[in-house]
Amino acid sequence: MSINRVRLVDESGSVGLASDALLELNAVTKRFGGLTAVQDVNLVVRPQEIVSVIGPNGAGKTTVFNLITGIYRPTSGDIRLEGRSLVKLNPDKIVIRGITRTFQNIRLFNNMTVLENVLVGQHTQLKSGILGSLFRTPRVLHEEMKARQKAIELLAFFGPTLVERQQEYVVNLSYADRRRVEIARALAAKPKVLLLDEPTAGMNEAETLEAVKYVRRLRDELQLTILLIEHKLAVTMGISDRIAVLDYGCKIAEGLPEEVRRDERVIAAYLGKAAKTDQEVSG
Amino acid sequence: MLISVNSRNLMPDRDERVLLLKWIVALLVPVVAFTFVWSGEEIVNQVFLSIFSPDANSYDTLTIIQATIFIVLFYASVIALAGYAIAADSGRQSILGLWLDVLVFVLVPLLLIVWTSNLLIGLTLCAIVWPVYFYVRKLVRKALHYTPHPPPVPLKDLKVFDAQQQTALMRRAVVGGFWFATAFAVVSLIADIIFFLTGPFPTMLLIWVILRTILLPIVGYFLGHLGSAMALRRTLTAKTNGNGNGDGRNGTKKVSSRVSRRRQLQSLSSSRAQEESKDLVPNDLPLRSNGAQRFYLTILVAFVLFYPVLDPILFGPGTAGRLSGYGDAGYYIILALGLNIVVGFAGLLDLGYVAFFAIGAYAWGLIGSTQFTALTNIPVNPQIWPWLFWPMLAGAALIAVFWGVVLGVPTLRLRGDYLAIVTLGFGEIIPIFFLELDKYTNGTNGIPGVYSPAFPGIANWSSFTPVPYYYLILALIALLIFVNIRLRDSRLGRAWVAIREDEIAASSSGINLVNTKLFAFGAGAFFAGIAGAYHAAKLGVVSPDNFSPQDSTIYLAMVVIGGLGSIPGVIVGAFAVYALNLFVLAQLDAIASDPSNFLHGILQIFPSFTFGDIRNLIFGIILVIVMIFRPEGLIPSARRRRELHHAETETVEVGALDPLPGSGEFEAVVRVE
Repeated sequence: MSINRVRLVDESGSVGLASDALLELNAVTKRFGGLTAVQDVNLVVRPQEIVSVIGPNGAGKTTVFNLITGIYRPTSGDIRLEGRSLVKLNPDKIVIRGITRTFQNIRLFNNMTVLENVLVGQHTQLKSGILGSLFRTPRVLHEEMKARQKAIELLAFFGPTLVERQQEYVVNLSYADRRRVEIARALAAKPKVLLLDEPTAGMNEAETLEAVKYVRRLRDELQLTILLIEHKLAVTMGISDRIAVLDYGCKIAEGLPEEVRRDERVIAAYLGKAAKTDQEVSG
Repeated sequence: MLISVNSRNLMPDRDERVLLLKWIVALLVPVVAFTFVWSGEEIVNQVFLSIFSPDANSYDTLTIIQATIFIVLFYASVIALAGYAIAADSGRQSILGLWLDVLVFVLVPLLLIVWTSNLLIGLTLCAIVWPVYFYVRKLVRKALHYTPHPPPVPLKDLKVFDAQQQTALMRRAVVGGFWFATAFAVVSLIADIIFFLTGPFPTMLLIWVILRTILLPIVGYFLGHLGSAMALRRTLTAKTNGNGNGDGRNGTKKVSSRVSRRRQLQSLSSSRAQEESKDLVPNDLPLRSNGAQRFYLTILVAFVLFYPVLDPILFGPGTAGRLSGYGDAGYYIILALGLNIVVGFAGLLDLGYVAFFAIGAYAWGLIGSTQFTALTNIPVNPQIWPWLFWPMLAGAALIAVFWGVVLGVPTLRLRGDYLAIVTLGFGEIIPIFFLELDKYTNGTNGIPGVYSPAFPGIANWSSFTPVPYYYLILALIALLIFVNIRLRDSRLGRAWVAIREDEIAASSSGINLVNTKLFAFGAGAFFAGIAGAYHAAKLGVVSPDNFSPQDSTIYLAMVVIGGLGSIPGVIVGAFAVYALNLFVLAQLDAIASDPSNFLHGILQIFPSFTFGDIRNLIFGIILVIVMIFRPEGLIPSARRRRELHHAETETVEVGALDPLPGSGEFEAVVRVE
């Protein structure tokens, strides 16, 4: 089986920086009224790392993602990509800077086909303007054909199934396939950092294994830096270079998977709750 | 090797005769109805008489030439369509089903138009008949437990469509064209002999009758070839990749040819992708396939283009009034096309669209009238600058765009309902603004004497000669349909749909929400500005009465009834709403005052009753009924149809399968160590 390998990032873009941090969160805080969702979170992601953010429900993991991608503005603190602040940018500008994401509850354009979804992902890569589109100049036509080819190549990253089903509306796809389309859409914008929000949520054992494989391949073959939120600890431990643990909006631990697994506070954060539940059940 | 991307088979040879009968009857009935019940033959006879006895005909040469072109295109298209349909039919649709379809969708409108001898009223009645038919069909199907064929899966199975089958396809089309033309020639001959024996029939025409009987089968043979060419092109032949056959695996071969076919896809459109299956030959519903639509389009374009000439022959006296009416319907079509970009593509609810229409109208009204000279002492009149209308058509549109942007910049950050309220306010303010600006706009009196356009060779543009305006609006509509299609299929059009679907996901895919929405708003305003300038020039007066804020609702109704996001849909919607609200309902009183009409009876019972009083009530009831039975609109876009019919098959909420913290499973994972 031959699959088209795609190179999304040229090496010069992601290596050889003065500081070795690609993405950097500096004392980031987010308050919604009286509720502090994220407090003083520091995080450093280096090029071609896979970093996981874990934590109990409501710990503020998705909020961190929303802060990085510009959906929320931090109340205080700074977020930098390659040393440049992202804080006051709109989501679309952040995509241009090189961060794309997927969503916990898949947000695909349901009434568009698989191919169209990936084409929308290429929006920032295409240059055709209104006049070019109206007169359909050779340049625009060429760009459009190129974009289609590119989209098919991206779908081919996940094997032949999606390529075959490219003209179908995404609602007709299986759950796992939709996750893949969403990642393909995120890849289409040629990101430097890819944010995956629970890429294995709702998947069965086999699909989870498959997902773990392609997340690794994203890093190895496409030289991507990946930040991911994951609930399944087995998955997290398996693929992460480093893990950051959030609880009640604060980062309580960070380190190698081995370290995190033994960390007292992490066990307390998870097991403390579980122990409490046990007491309630037995009491 | 040629491959047909198809899941259906060519109909077996032995059924060919059944196929021939099925289609010849289906197509012959409406053609004969047009020719002998309506005025088809009259046009043919006029054409013929003008050649053989120039004194006998009552039309000038130009009229005759146009009528000839129309009639030739009409019959040629129908004969070629017969060839195409016979070749393209997969035979899965039953004979009765086809005949019923043709009866309801072709014959009923034809007869209603002949009966009312009015295009608009006839078609409006169809809009009532068709939904009733759909409803009854649904009930009958339910009662009989009938399930229609499952929709063909597009580009799913590949089957080799070999040379033999291709030859069979071609032969079928030629045979179809020939026999259809022959059958038509025979029917015509019989009809003419009856005319000859029973009434005054110019003997001269007998030459034509004989000539036609001989010529038609020959012509049919060659037009059958045209039909076969159309059908063959739609077998979607694709070459297999020469390099992929080394491994000999069936699956790989399939995939590779599929991909190469798709890479060739020239259809850049998004909404058309799913329609591909309609394009395949053999087809389950050939009359609805894209191949057949080429023939309809030819007939439709010929009809619309030569309508001013055909109108007196088809409907008798009163052409000027009718054409003027169609000119008005035309600017509603432009408005609907523009609003379709805003509401249908980008999903922004605009309840104040009339404002841009008013701005466009006042832009030309203020500059292209005596008012401008009176205000600024710069002499502007048709004698000095006769061509001024044309740049100002674009100018008015750009002024409307400017105001669209001015309104859009602060408000497009709002979502859904809030935006609707702001636009509603804008639609209220602008007409009042022009009303109160009476120093410049003469307030309620309006601006009189707005100049007409000028065009070399066309001397008379007054509102009593609607023909130039008819062609002007046709040209504008054609231009704007083109713009609309190109925008829809562009990168921008994709971004609009993405925003309509999910703003957050669109924004996270790199789409600038405000700019993209502004483009939609601006494009909508551009269309409205053009419609406004045209309206001002045609009417010759710009008065505030023409821009009531309620009109915005009518425009929205046109778009929604036609089918949000569907270009043919909104054109039909605009025409239907115009015909219904501003033509039929407005004329109910006039119709009822005619003693021969059945509505006259109501006036007998309630002498003081006028239909004008309940006009809006009737219109509202019709809107409600349409929305209940056909929420996706008359001609929905593929996307919208899917959306409304698959809403119930939404998937399980995500995360339901995740182990929750605190649950046993989650603990098990954590406690692994």
